[in-house]
Amino acid sequence: MAVIEVKNLKKNFRVKLKEKGLKGSLKSMVKASYRTVEAVKGVNFEVQEGEVIAFIGPNGAGKSTTIKMLTGILYPDGGDIRVLGIDPTKERKKLAYEIGTVFGQKEQLWMHLTPYDNFKFFGAIYDIPDKEAEKRIEEIKELFELQEIMNTPVRNLSLGQRIRCEIAASLIHQPKVLFLDEPTIGLDPVVKDSIRKLIKKMNKEYHTTVFLTSHDVSDIEKLCKRVIIINNGELVMDDSMENLKYHHLNKKIIEIKLAKMADFSNFDGIKVLKQKDTNFKLEIDLKKKSIADVLKLIHSDDLIDMNISNTPLEEIISEIYRDGVKV
Amino acid sequence: MLTAVKNQIKVTFISVKYALMREMLNKTTFLMNVIFMILNNASFILQWVVIYSLKSDVGGYSFGQVLLLWGTAASTFGFAHFFFKKSFSLSDAITNGKLDSYLVQPKNVLISAITSDVEPSAIGDLIYGVIMLIVSGLTIPKVLLFILFTISGGITMTSFAVILASLSFWFGRADSVADTGNGMITHFATYPDGIFHGISKIILYTIIPAGIINYIPVSVMTTFDVRLTLLVLAITVGMTALAFLFFYRGLRRYSSSNLMIAKI
Repeated sequence: MAVIEVKNLKKNFRVKLKEKGLKGSLKSMVKASYRTVEAVKGVNFEVQEGEVIAFIGPNGAGKSTTIKMLTGILYPDGGDIRVLGIDPTKERKKLAYEIGTVFGQKEQLWMHLTPYDNFKFFGAIYDIPDKEAEKRIEEIKELFELQEIMNTPVRNLSLGQRIRCEIAASLIHQPKVLFLDEPTIGLDPVVKDSIRKLIKKMNKEYHTTVFLTSHDVSDIEKLCKRVIIINNGELVMDDSMENLKYHHLNKKIIEIKLAKMADFSNFDGIKVLKQKDTNFKLEIDLKKKSIADVLKLIHSDDLIDMNISNTPLEEIISEIYRDGVKV
Repeated sequence: MLTAVKNQIKVTFISVKYALMREMLNKTTFLMNVIFMILNNASFILQWVVIYSLKSDVGGYSFGQVLLLWGTAASTFGFAHFFFKKSFSLSDAITNGKLDSYLVQPKNVLISAITSDVEPSAIGDLIYGVIMLIVSGLTIPKVLLFILFTISGGITMTSFAVILASLSFWFGRADSVADTGNGMITHFATYPDGIFHGISKIILYTIIPAGIINYIPVSVMTTFDVRLTLLVLAITVGMTALAFLFFYRGLRRYSSSNLMIAKI
């Protein structure tokens, strides 16, 4: 069942143009001119119940604008949105009871209050009776391992603990869909990992659909089975993570350590990424050369060590951002 | 519907309570804010003591009525700034995309946004208003009317601030317009309306509703008039409806932002 349905979604922003300097300011006061920026240009996609999807794109691609339209923050200029069958533009409050949101860059918690008081406040916002709220707080406390920080004011928590509390607070009303906008921004690798584990656990235990935006490729790789890429307000890819890797992995990285010096610079399909003495890091374009072709260039007696790996996902995504792959 | 209103009121009171708890974290600053506001207001009365030592009547007001005028002005200002502080900086929230967190909650965006903070010094205004009421002479009907007009005036003042701030949805930064408009109500509300004539008087009963917030209430507290009381209440309801209409019409044009924001 599709929990998010987006059809031909559009959003424009009107940006005031101003020539430089005081003269430009005076001129714009007399006659202002505007430019229309098409932030989202007719986007279509669906998200199924229980999916964890990554909605990614470079800065200014339109991902935050899309997520804000899906959650009822922004009004679209065209198209149709249904989240759990609800139109956010017409029934914002009804939708708010069913979804949870975490914006990594915007705190929703009261900083001077403890996580417990914050959770109680969120319980009241979602009209959860006191007894039921207490029960859910207990549950969330266990799930997110918040026992030790429950009575510490949020301002005294570390960033990682705070984000954990932000996510926990967004779950108090047991939302069916969770929108996470850059939830791991600014966190260290250990904390990032624990946040990812929590998201996974939550998806598994509550069957929550997760709509995630992140610039961190590890978030996407470790959490999502499907990736939607948006660039310049248009979808450039909507595919499973497996397909993304399969179709775009036409390059391999070979790291070799040789006993003797060799020269790989003049072969079509082989690019020397790094060389230090007899240690080489090569990028092989599989359309032009196979791994066997490369190995034929090396005498087996000279080979001390070898490692073959895929192109990092980060590079694949950067390439899609740069060149675009139309869906 | 009734449950929804009850829940909204519950959340509003929790929000105000939490904001007050935050302010009370620093006891000394909190108390200083309250006390200094009382002293600040008291300093203005001194000029009226001097004026009434020279004249017995200013714009048709006795000294007792001026005290009541100041009392009502301070209490309405205090009520509005204590409970609805953020309505006076709503323009900034609109322009800089600070409404996002309220838009994803199943509550009224406007009420949630304007009740998310309290002004401790406004408690000083409220206390000062009560002191002025006592000094001007206490009667039970006067006390009841004073409470009623403090609430109605505070709501009208807040509605006026919301309408001005909502202009930001259409014209970008309207904070200076809102500040000027809000400042004008406060300034005019502390002078007897008898000193204003012609167009200025019309403006004070329409565009700048100082007359509705202060002049008519003082007149009713001096000589009770049921029609004027109902008029004040009707205008309060009308202004509130207009504030909601302006804000929600404008909200469709809200453009959010990507600023890093913390709720501190």
